[in-house]
Amino acid sequence: MSGGSARSLGKGSPPPGPVPEGVIRVYSMRFCPFAERTRLVLNAKGIRHEVININLKNKPEWFFEKNPLGLVPVLENSQGQLIYESTITCEYLDEAYPGKKLLPDDPYEKARQKMIFELSSQIPTLLICFLRGQNKDDYSGQKEQLHKEFSKLEEVLTNKKTTFFGGKNISMVDYLIWPWFERLEAVELIDCVDHTPKLKLWMEAMRKDPTVSALITDAKTLRGFTDLYLQNSPDACDYGL
Amino acid sequence: MRRRLESMAEDATRALGKGSLPPGPVPEGLIRIYSMRFCPYSHRTRLILQAKGIRHEVININLKNKPEWYYTKHPFGQIPVLENSKHQLIYESVIACEYLDDAYPGRKLYPFDPYERARQKMLLELFYKVPHLTKECLVAFRCGRECTDLKLALRQEFCNLEEILGYQNTVFFGGDCISMIDYLFWPWFERLDVYGIADCVSHTPALRLWIAAMKQDPAVCALLIDKNIFLGFLNLYFQNNPDAFDYGLSC
Repeated sequence: MSGGSARSLGKGSPPPGPVPEGVIRVYSMRFCPFAERTRLVLNAKGIRHEVININLKNKPEWFFEKNPLGLVPVLENSQGQLIYESTITCEYLDEAYPGKKLLPDDPYEKARQKMIFELSSQIPTLLICFLRGQNKDDYSGQKEQLHKEFSKLEEVLTNKKTTFFGGKNISMVDYLIWPWFERLEAVELIDCVDHTPKLKLWMEAMRKDPTVSALITDAKTLRGFTDLYLQNSPDACDYGL
Repeated sequence: MRRRLESMAEDATRALGKGSLPPGPVPEGLIRIYSMRFCPYSHRTRLILQAKGIRHEVININLKNKPEWYYTKHPFGQIPVLENSKHQLIYESVIACEYLDDAYPGRKLYPFDPYERARQKMLLELFYKVPHLTKECLVAFRCGRECTDLKLALRQEFCNLEEILGYQNTVFFGGDCISMIDYLFWPWFERLDVYGIADCVSHTPALRLWIAAMKQDPAVCALLIDKNIFLGFLNLYFQNNPDAFDYGLSC
């Protein structure tokens, strides 16, 4: 186990030491969908890593030296190099580490994955609104928006005639998009994929992937975390420990 | 450095509009870019084509009167779009630039080292407010509206970039030589003067030195747009004149 279940560090905690050789560190939070992308890639590529969870409701002062924006995920290697923004961390890991390549070698196929990812770019913003319960005034309107965004992805799968967004096998773009779909059940929006059968099948195929299933969080736990997080509780990030 | 005359520029062709015939397939050995002579996003991609010496053809699109066939190239009719001889389409300016760097030989514009590559991508994130802010300043300026707050916000963004250059102590954003990130930033800095916001770099000397160094780069020079022609375009554009995009082309 890579320490992904460790208690989060908050204000007043001593800064962690340097990263040992042969290991890469990810500053994370157990329920953060952005950090989940990076953890999926670390696991999919079998990269030796350590996880330091950050209490996002009570951030340690030293964390801003890791990322001036104070956000997770951040990677730190044994050379003290820091990489942040989830998609940048994922691409860095794929380039820097050997083994299974998650992004295609072919320049066009690689560009295609990035274009597909762009198609999904509104989904996090929309889902975060639902997670925060910020759309009481326009619930059906926002749900309609979400349907539209899902239809774009459905079209890709329909045209490609493959299970995954990158082809027959799971690849980078699937891992990048997954954390948002993992959370649909927790916000009672799982019916949003009823209109998009291929997307629904994709979700089922994703759940069967060993990396995805190793990191999956059930809806009940996600709801428990979300409730505390919305109340700004400093205990939210350690929910369930 | 002798600047190429506007009429000799590779993209000095009339913009295609509604009713125009769709272009044929792209010949082997060439890549096509759907573009617009004054668009900063297309400019990024044209810089990479130029810097890497990639044989290409330009089809300009009339953005106020888009050809029906253009939506088969891009679902929302945006530019730039690359099309190769295998009918593959690539869009989003940054994706197009990376594709060209990956697909074509010669000088690599992104570094080889994964960390340095990541660093350039992190720098690009720092830039994300600049296009929107410069555009808002332009619109406000052209409509005779106040833009003090916008200019202040833009100066703040430029301060962040100044800090990077100061910390790195290099001329360019990627090091001592020009690289991808510099080309990705450049189009908006080239436009500061014609947009009427050149004073926004008055507090950022390292950024001014970078601008001067960029103007020495052969690819930047080759694509530099004449100020009067740009102003002529802007005048027509803000009058909603569909001929704006062809301003400056000899008949």
